[in-house]
Amino acid sequence: MKRILFVVSLAASIATAADDPKQRQDLTAVIALNGKPCGEVVSYVVQADNDYVATCKDGNRYRVHVKDGRVIVEKQ
Amino acid sequence: MDHRATDRYQSLKLAFAILLLAAGCKVVPPPAPPPPTPPPEPERKEAAPRAPPKAAPAAPPKSTAVVPAPAAPRAAAPALDLRSLEQRLKDTNAIGVLTKLSLKNQVDDLVAQFRAFHDGRQPPTLTELRRPYELLLMKVLSLLQDSDPALAKEINASREAIWSVLSDRNKLSQFL
Repeated sequence: MKRILFVVSLAASIATAADDPKQRQDLTAVIALNGKPCGEVVSYVVQADNDYVATCKDGNRYRVHVKDGRVIVEKQ
Repeated sequence: MDHRATDRYQSLKLAFAILLLAAGCKVVPPPAPPPPTPPPEPERKEAAPRAPPKAAPAAPPKSTAVVPAPAAPRAAAPALDLRSLEQRLKDTNAIGVLTKLSLKNQVDDLVAQFRAFHDGRQPPTLTELRRPYELLLMKVLSLLQDSDPALAKEINASREAIWSVLSDRNKLSQFL
């Protein structure tokens, strides 16, 4: 049972750790638009709909999500 | 007498022939210089045709310059189709969804500042609002210029027109 749960969670983590170049570019632009240092998003993890944790080239990590119609960029 | 005459004639003929030969050798070079002179003539002829084309293009601009002058302001007016620009900005693939939403947030914030200004709250004066306006426009242009240069160009061309809308209370209210 534990093995099954491990495999399922591993599969889920692989699915959420997506690597769409357009999404990375979008996150890079959003972080820059909000005046946060980043350079370029090298990877990101999807936490939920319109909720991402982006890892930047300079090592910074930001949570980018939408709340009440506004894009919020929070340093992690 | 006839023999003498013929002898003289022949001697003269011979002398004339020698002169011709001698002169012929000297005459050959002179034709050489003339060739150089003809080239200048063709050059002049070429120069002459060149001049008319210069005159020709100069003439059309005069005629067209008169026409576009009034046409330019007319073209500037339809360039400011804010609704169209807004729709194109929404539809463009050059910007991601999150970026568009973030841009919209910032546009809304700026418009709110303009509305506050028009309502009489003047810590941000019109002069002070120009800077954030330019900054936001630069952000939009930098996002568009590589992937949708046509839209970026149109927005840039409408820079002053958009400002005139924002800075005018009545015009702004028509768009809100």
